[in-house]
Amino acid sequence: MSARLIGVLLVLVCAGVEGLAQICLKQSTRQAGRRAGWIATGVGLFVVEALLYTAALQRLEVSVAYSLGAMSFVFVALGAAWLLGEALPMTRRIGIACIVAGCAVLASGG
Amino acid sequence: MSEQTPSSSPVGRRVAAVLAIAIALDTLGQLLWKLAASRLPATLSPEALLQSIERDPLPLLVIGVFVLQLVNWLVVLERVDLSYAQPLTALSYVTVCLLSAWLFGERLDLHKGLGVLLVLAGVALVSASPARRKSP
Repeated sequence: MSARLIGVLLVLVCAGVEGLAQICLKQSTRQAGRRAGWIATGVGLFVVEALLYTAALQRLEVSVAYSLGAMSFVFVALGAAWLLGEALPMTRRIGIACIVAGCAVLASGG
Repeated sequence: MSEQTPSSSPVGRRVAAVLAIAIALDTLGQLLWKLAASRLPATLSPEALLQSIERDPLPLLVIGVFVLQLVNWLVVLERVDLSYAQPLTALSYVTVCLLSAWLFGERLDLHKGLGVLLVLAGVALVSASPARRKSP
């Protein structure tokens, strides 16, 4: 695997971890009894994400890594819809499609 | 809901200023993080990380920028709706792209420009959609 491909995969994992972290933080506002646990899990996930993103930056241009990180918006929106039952209105769906298309363009760049 | 803003402009000057600071700090954080990452050892073991931070405090500066960014973001959210502020911060995709080309000599061509603009539009659309659905 090329360094670039590893970098792209690392950012995608980061975006997924970010999505999980955000869902944990949102859960902390919904389950008062387990608030501290959800927040601690969310913050722990942010630390893991920071390490993975650092490894990604060692392999990618920052302009590519940062933009690919927008996949977290996609994972957050989809995760919130599936796990939390949040709505997925048409504007958000079009936005998700634009982000995925843009990331595909960036990841395919030479 | 957002606070009342001067009728002469859609957003108050202070709101515009804190939003500009938010974009600037986003951009600064990314550029410094890239610089810090490129100076770190290839294997990111905890010991290696701590040793290199002793020699080169740049990672601490990155953390400092993100703390400032969080504080400034809370000021933004005090003054305007999240659904107004969040799409605007997507502008930092453009500033990171331009400044990384200028400072680090990163490639900047039509291909990358198209990708970044699609991401920018997508983030703006995702975060501009209604914040909360009506309760069932």
